[in-house]
Amino acid sequence: MEKNSEGQVIVVTSGKGGVGKTTTVANVSSALARLGYKVVVMDLDIGLKKLDLVLGLENRVIYDIVQVIEGECTLKQALVKDKRFPHLFMLPAAQTRNKDEITPEQVKQLCKQLQEEFEYVFIDCPAGIEQGFRNAIAAANSAIVVTNPEVSAVRDADRIIGMLESNNFKDIKLVINRLQNDMVEAGDMLSINDLTEHLCIDLLGVVPEDKNVVISTNRGEPIILNEKADASPAFNNIARRITGEEVEFLTFEDPSFWHKLKRSLFPGR
Amino acid sequence: MLINIKGLNDSLVFVFGRGTFQEYYDFLQSKFTSNKRLFAGSQVVFKGEGLRLLSRDEISHLQKLCLDNGMILNNFTLHKSRQNPSNDTIIYRNIRSGQKVRSEGSIVVWGNVHESAEVSAARDIIVLGRLEGIAHAGCYGETQSIVFALNLNPGQIRIADKISRSPGTSITNDSAPEIAYLDEDNICIKEYDARDIYSGILNPK
Repeated sequence: MEKNSEGQVIVVTSGKGGVGKTTTVANVSSALARLGYKVVVMDLDIGLKKLDLVLGLENRVIYDIVQVIEGECTLKQALVKDKRFPHLFMLPAAQTRNKDEITPEQVKQLCKQLQEEFEYVFIDCPAGIEQGFRNAIAAANSAIVVTNPEVSAVRDADRIIGMLESNNFKDIKLVINRLQNDMVEAGDMLSINDLTEHLCIDLLGVVPEDKNVVISTNRGEPIILNEKADASPAFNNIARRITGEEVEFLTFEDPSFWHKLKRSLFPGR
Repeated sequence: MLINIKGLNDSLVFVFGRGTFQEYYDFLQSKFTSNKRLFAGSQVVFKGEGLRLLSRDEISHLQKLCLDNGMILNNFTLHKSRQNPSNDTIIYRNIRSGQKVRSEGSIVVWGNVHESAEVSAARDIIVLGRLEGIAHAGCYGETQSIVFALNLNPGQIRIADKISRSPGTSITNDSAPEIAYLDEDNICIKEYDARDIYSGILNPK
């Protein structure tokens, strides 16, 4: 993913719900903003908005995207600035409206305006493959597909990738969320290799299962602010890879005391 | 065998082997006269590679011979396969879940056919990758169609009007490409062998 003179529009999508689209959007965009890039996140899950909650900006929302489109307010008025990251802005979704009240054309126009001012425009796509999905992908020039290492999420991801490909997306990357390495090692969970081999797209990042994500979501603080959390470096790395930097993938081997002890006692294993 | 006569789906299939027009004509005529009751009133389909060496005129002579002996011609497959040999399709991408591809000829996929994707073709399906979705070869009734994949592990295979579904437990055979074909009424799967060209499984059309 290269930086253009015009901002890059990235849609984050998955097909299946609950795999971590909004968490990914919130954290990757915060991480990019912290690196100094001008970033705006656009919540297109109209009627079921969550991004404002995860970013902790719920109380500061005044206008929403549907009001911008209908001309009730200007785009500038609707953008909510994140105080923790001065480069991060959010365009909130409307909670009392429906996804079919806006069209792909209108989203395209909005993104055009945002692209002039921001280096990265992130679109939080709703689950499903209906109108909301079509709105979300209309303006994007690259896509991040989030999936969990389980067969139901993978099948939906495959369907979504197919739809993106038929909409001429060339830049589609995979984020694997909630990977549990102990389960992969025990053969109870799909491995990174299984997933990339099955979906045949490039990997952008792997986020390990981390209970801290629940805590930070409830508090409305992106997990990247918690340096000790396992998921934090993973999201930071994804952000750096988006800027074009080459970052090595994390390994999730358990470096616990017993593990190390076992290894030193039985080096053959 | 000059002409192999098989019963299939309520019709008689005449599979033409190698021979000349006169040999065919004499062979059929002797068959018809020796067994009039069997042939009169049945539907007849012409097939086989021997037909390719005959002219249209010669074929229509053979057809007339059948008609004169009270048979009904049911030759949609012949016309399909002789019509236009270049309606084959070649695809350079993965066919993903929810996507459907159809060809009026044979189809070659440079990529995988993923789970819950569908590929159907009037003739053969060749997947140069993994086949995990649904494949329907010979979707207009061409029973000599085959399905080939480097890694054949489909949810369902159909050849002509026969259906066979995956046994549930995935039999992963990563090592060898496999081929599925119709043997009488059953869909069979075996490891691909280039010598199949001579064994009658692969029928050049």
